Amino acid sequence: MSDGVPTLSVRDLRTHFLTKAGAVKAVDGVSFDVAKGRILGLVGESGSGKSVTGFSIIGLVDPPGRVVGGEIRYNGANLLDLDDEAMRDLRGNRVAMIFQDPMMTLNPVLRIDTQMVETVLAHHEVDKATALARARDALGRVGIPSPEERLHAYPHQFSGGMRQRVAIAIALLNEPDLIIADEPTTALDVTIQGQILFEAQKLCRETGTAMIWITHDLAVVAGLADEICVMYAGRIVEKGTVDEVLDRPIHPYTHGLIGSVPSHNSRGRRLTQIPGMTPSLLNLPPGCAFRERCPRADEACLAEPEIAEAAAGREVRCFHPHLEAGA
Amino acid sequence: MSGPAAMIETRDLVKRFVKTLDLAGRIANRLGADVREEVVHAVDGVSIHVKHGEVLGLVGESGCGKSTLGRMIAGILPPTEGTILHEGRDVAGLEGPAAREIALKVQMIFQDPFASLNPRMRVEDIVGEAPRAHGVVDAAGQADYVDGVLLRVGLDPAFKRRYPHQFSGGQRQRIGIARALAVKPEFLVCDEAIAALDVSIQAQVLNLFMDLREDLDLTYLFISHDLSVVEHISDRVVIMYLGRVVEMSATETLFEAPNHPYTRALLAEVPRLDIRRRDYEPVRGEIPSPLNPPPGCHFHPRCPLAGPRCRAEVPRLAEIEPDRWSACHLNDGGVG
Ligand SMILES: Nc1ncnc2c1ncn2[C@@H]1O[C@H](COP(=O)(O)OP(=O)(O)OP(=O)(O)O)[C@@H](O)[C@H]1O
Ligand SMILES: Nc1ncnc2c1ncn2[C@@H]1O[C@H](COP(=O)(O)OP(=O)(O)OP(=O)(O)O)[C@@H](O)[C@H]1O
Ligand code: SF4
Ligand code: SF4
Ligand SMILES: [Mg+2]
Ligand SMILES: [Mg+2]
Repeated sequence: MSDGVPTLSVRDLRTHFLTKAGAVKAVDGVSFDVAKGRILGLVGESGSGKSVTGFSIIGLVDPPGRVVGGEIRYNGANLLDLDDEAMRDLRGNRVAMIFQDPMMTLNPVLRIDTQMVETVLAHHEVDKATALARARDALGRVGIPSPEERLHAYPHQFSGGMRQRVAIAIALLNEPDLIIADEPTTALDVTIQGQILFEAQKLCRETGTAMIWITHDLAVVAGLADEICVMYAGRIVEKGTVDEVLDRPIHPYTHGLIGSVPSHNSRGRRLTQIPGMTPSLLNLPPGCAFRERCPRADEACLAEPEIAEAAAGREVRCFHPHLEAGA
Repeated sequence: MSGPAAMIETRDLVKRFVKTLDLAGRIANRLGADVREEVVHAVDGVSIHVKHGEVLGLVGESGCGKSTLGRMIAGILPPTEGTILHEGRDVAGLEGPAAREIALKVQMIFQDPFASLNPRMRVEDIVGEAPRAHGVVDAAGQADYVDGVLLRVGLDPAFKRRYPHQFSGGQRQRIGIARALAVKPEFLVCDEAIAALDVSIQAQVLNLFMDLREDLDLTYLFISHDLSVVEHISDRVVIMYLGRVVEMSATETLFEAPNHPYTRALLAEVPRLDIRRRDYEPVRGEIPSPLNPPPGCHFHPRCPLAGPRCRAEVPRLAEIEPDRWSACHLNDGGVG
């Protein structure tokens, strides 16, 4: 970017849940940048800390969760220094999140038009008719049929997939600088998903919005993102461009994950499977968190691997990454 | 269908639901909304067949009627109209032992492994109850039998005294599969059976389905909205759109040479690992509501090839080549 400052720069973020049973280190030392107009895919299995990373950035971590360390720089300023009011002002205007559950965005007792017009008027000095026109336009863009009529509906009159589209329309309303999208298309059909991805892509290209796209669907990330961060047990284990990570994964977890995705040439064959299951983040034993499931594990892995540069522009957290030629 | 009877065949199967107003709808009405009672044609004249030993994939957008069709075939939802044939026999006419036998032979596996398992039952009872009640195994043999079924799905029998919440998602799905297998079914209806699982765990369960098919000679109806998964596991694929079948053919044919314009649109949008930073396209035309489907061919508002006939006449699902079926006027005299 021209001025060299990324829209978002997260450094050593630590978000822990201090429960009676002990500290759940949901996010434990996560660092990444997202530049203007770029899309970062954040992938990883259930419980790896993707959503909590997103909540931390927009300041919506609920107790007993707390950001216990690190920095979240938005256009250079640390968001962790902002008070609640400044943070609220930023949300829904310059920074927006699309949640896994659309009802976190939607108010069940308000009509869609009321909610959308409020969102516009809260941050822009336009008249109501302009705000309404913008709302109608946004609904159309996410593929809601007859947006004019739909504006008068209440959230419960929509199907789950339609509600998610309305929530996405609200996030796009003010053309924010940063969007954190948390599995927004998982419940949608591929054609509607294509429509949403089209709008997301357009926003990034035309207005320079930076985006974090959280998903467990590697194929969606392949088609959309510029870079990928792979999370496992609260940490980033591999980072790089989409092509690098998907074509030449070097962390054993990423390697296994890509092998386990069915594709059009896997028909009739057995898929690679990663044995075992995701570890509990409560009292995670020391050493590499992937150790119990990793085919490359040895005594070295009883110590904790640090994330380190493995090749130009690529980072990996592993003592025995797949670096050999052809791997 | 000609030749040997299919394991399962449906003829003009229909399911209509009347949506009465719920409390939220009545409150919304009082606040000035206009919510009305509506009829949904969830399944609208479906004729398909499942051959012995095959995996038939069933794909379509949310709300197109996949689960409804699957539940009717599994015998847990009565059809509004139409017939279901099992080995050529109409299941509606069966009573007593014959009806019970079919109920055991066809089992269903659901998407949400947690919601479909009784949280207060131990795994050994979840898996052992039905085979016991139906005389598949006697009291003395039950414990060994359950151990065998658990091993079969890759669960350690040492955990059989545990409750469902003490297992991970993938393990719970295995419990659901064990429960279905315990009554020695020949046909499994899997409704989004891996959708709730992590990618790495999905692979474990998909592999398990393939092993079980080999070892136990099972036949599957495999419902999923994930085309990559369906392509991976199925021999033939059925595509549904708004309650109707639009295409049914062998997996390779369908993915390499889709006939129906809807199938083509669907395949064009499937995200694939090897397609990078693609240019996504907006959906053409209006996306219709299942409550108020368009007349004629349901797909006409979005179809780039639609003509006047498509708005007036419902296209027939026709066999355009041996074992290749499609419901589009273009195969049948054109759209003019
Ligand atoms: N309120 C809470 N109390 C304790 N632990 C929590 C709480 N909320 C989240 N966690 C834990 O934080 C970890 C990260 O959760 P997070 O929701 O970020 O996962 P995720 O990667 O988004 O998973 P998914 O793909 O299932 O959405 C999990 O192990 C979860 O159990
Ligand atoms: N018990 C019911 N009462 C009323 N309407 C129903 C009922 N079950 C299903 N429907 C409606 O019937 C239609 C078909 O639903 P169905 O669940 O079969 O779709 P599906 O293809 O399985 O969708 P999904 O991919 O979302 O699971 C939908 O419009 C749905 O709202
Ligand atoms: S550090 Fe060791 S256990 Fe961890 S991923 Fe690398 S090889 Fe596997
Ligand atoms: S019948 Fe007409 S509208 Fe329907 S798919 Fe064929 S060409 Fe398109
Ligand atoms: Mg999440
Ligand atoms: Mg369903």
